Amino acid sequence: MSDAALLRDADDLHRLTRKPESQWQIVWRNFKRNRLAIVGGVVVVLLYLIAIFAPFLPIQDYAQLNSGQRLQPPGAEHWMGTDRQTRDVFARLIVASRISLAVGFVSVAIIMVLGVVLGAVAGYFGGFVDNLVMRVTDVFLAIPQLFLLLAAAALFTPSLRTTMLVIGFTSWMGTARLVRGEFLRVKAQEFVHAARSIGASNVRIMVRHLLPNTLAVIIVQATLWLSFAILLESSLSFLGLGAQPPEPSWGGMLADGRRDMREAWWMTTFPGLAIFITVLAFNLLGDGLRDAFDPRQRRR
Amino acid sequence: MTAQARNYILRRVIMLIPLTLGLSIVIFALIHLSPGDPALAFVSEQNADPRVVEQIREDLGLNDSLPVQYWRWLSKVATLDFGVAYTFNRTPVIDLVGQRAWGTIQLQIMSLVLSLVIAIPIGIISAKRQYSAIDNAATVGSFLGLAIPNFWFALMLQLLLAVQLGWLPSSTAGQDVRWPDRGLYYIMPVLVLSLSLVATFVRFMRSSFLEVIRQDYITMARAKGLDERTITYRHALKNAIIPMITIIGLQLPRLLSGSVIVETIFAWPGLGELGYRSILSRDYPVILALTLLTGVFILVVNIIVDVIYVLIDPRIAFE
Repeated sequence: MSDAALLRDADDLHRLTRKPESQWQIVWRNFKRNRLAIVGGVVVVLLYLIAIFAPFLPIQDYAQLNSGQRLQPPGAEHWMGTDRQTRDVFARLIVASRISLAVGFVSVAIIMVLGVVLGAVAGYFGGFVDNLVMRVTDVFLAIPQLFLLLAAAALFTPSLRTTMLVIGFTSWMGTARLVRGEFLRVKAQEFVHAARSIGASNVRIMVRHLLPNTLAVIIVQATLWLSFAILLESSLSFLGLGAQPPEPSWGGMLADGRRDMREAWWMTTFPGLAIFITVLAFNLLGDGLRDAFDPRQRRR
Repeated sequence: MTAQARNYILRRVIMLIPLTLGLSIVIFALIHLSPGDPALAFVSEQNADPRVVEQIREDLGLNDSLPVQYWRWLSKVATLDFGVAYTFNRTPVIDLVGQRAWGTIQLQIMSLVLSLVIAIPIGIISAKRQYSAIDNAATVGSFLGLAIPNFWFALMLQLLLAVQLGWLPSSTAGQDVRWPDRGLYYIMPVLVLSLSLVATFVRFMRSSFLEVIRQDYITMARAKGLDERTITYRHALKNAIIPMITIIGLQLPRLLSGSVIVETIFAWPGLGELGYRSILSRDYPVILALTLLTGVFILVVNIIVDVIYVLIDPRIAFE
């Protein structure tokens, strides 16, 4: 047995003699052991800080032109070079993080509301309602999401607001299925029968008793969907149907850079790296949270 | 086949009818509730004569009520008549789809086969040596594979293999290239489509295999003295690979989504590129047909997947 494992066992023994931990303490203890998840979490926090404080950072204005500095390679003055319009790529990259994170945040809020409400109603009431909701879910799952996204984004006027709404309304299905499964599982337990026997209403049982028990699934789903939503937004912007110029977005910058790929590698490389790092961080965080919440993973 | 299995398959097939109808309603509603006017797609000038536009609307039947339009569309669609495209030289939609389907199917099949060939052995090795250096590398690798945006990967490949090194043609401009040179055009699109598939399959194969080798019958096989090779390939692999069938079916929508990106970037004459172009030009009949056909295709493939699953593992039908 390694030293670390010995220490961990001593730690566990010590814990037995103290008052029992709350669920959140257990989750945090499990989460802390996963180094990759910690890294993901730190990167996510940094990204949000950068996005929130972008206007106060000592960077150029993203729209400022630097005359005579067209397509400059990365250097001391412009860390990530300049684009065809002589704008600073680094500054644009920072400002674009606001768009990605904001789109991610709003679309995930929509996904969670739709997914949780539909999943909860289907799982709790069962029967016809369940069947109806689940078949609608099947229908939406059968359409390739990018087809649906592109069609909707093109048919309505392409804009950030459209992007958020469209991603939200085409991504709730997986969450609905998972939440339904959790509601089905939990509603069969005795404390739910007990609540009903003392006259609790359906809404009260769902909100006060079942919802807290599905919180783990919801948190993990929300984290993972933040990464998918950011990926979808950048795909849409790349295809010209998401954020519209002059608003800087990572996908849009990649589309710009594609035209100058032969002369300016930095314009395609850095925005892609930004998307990649963001998505990776959210995935690591989400995966770590899933493991931390899952009782079967404990003591791994 | 047991009676349960037969009933299960029958239920799934019958379910296809309401699902297809639901699909057609969702797609039709989406397209006709949007604010854009398809009649404007026909007029080239910005300030077209309103009377001309009105005439076009009348000709296309856009002035009828939505249920009427839906019913007319549906009864034609039932005979695979999707009308003519508004753009694309007014070619019948079904011909457009027919011309381009093969291009997409080729890429999809190649990427599926390639990713399975790569992912299954890696997944097995990963599981057999859990927490070893190889396993950790595979886990990290699949995290990276899932986080790399496919359009960025495509651009980076173009930048490296086509622009810098000049090994591969950067897109499919010349379609009349003969084999074997033509094979060069397939490499980058297939690699891009395979990236996230490999990552998904590796993770799934690994956990599926881990689950199987912990079961009693594997311990039994080991106890009676079978060698590790026989246990892995004859006993464990067969059961571990069954859940992969489901995952392949579930990846199909994502694969088709990926083909929109890949075909657009590499100018590949397939359904994804057709979809993108028809969306940009608001070509409603083409968008309707593509979304409906891919949807039905995915529903049918998923039923086939379920049927194969039940035939291999009849326990499912009892659940």
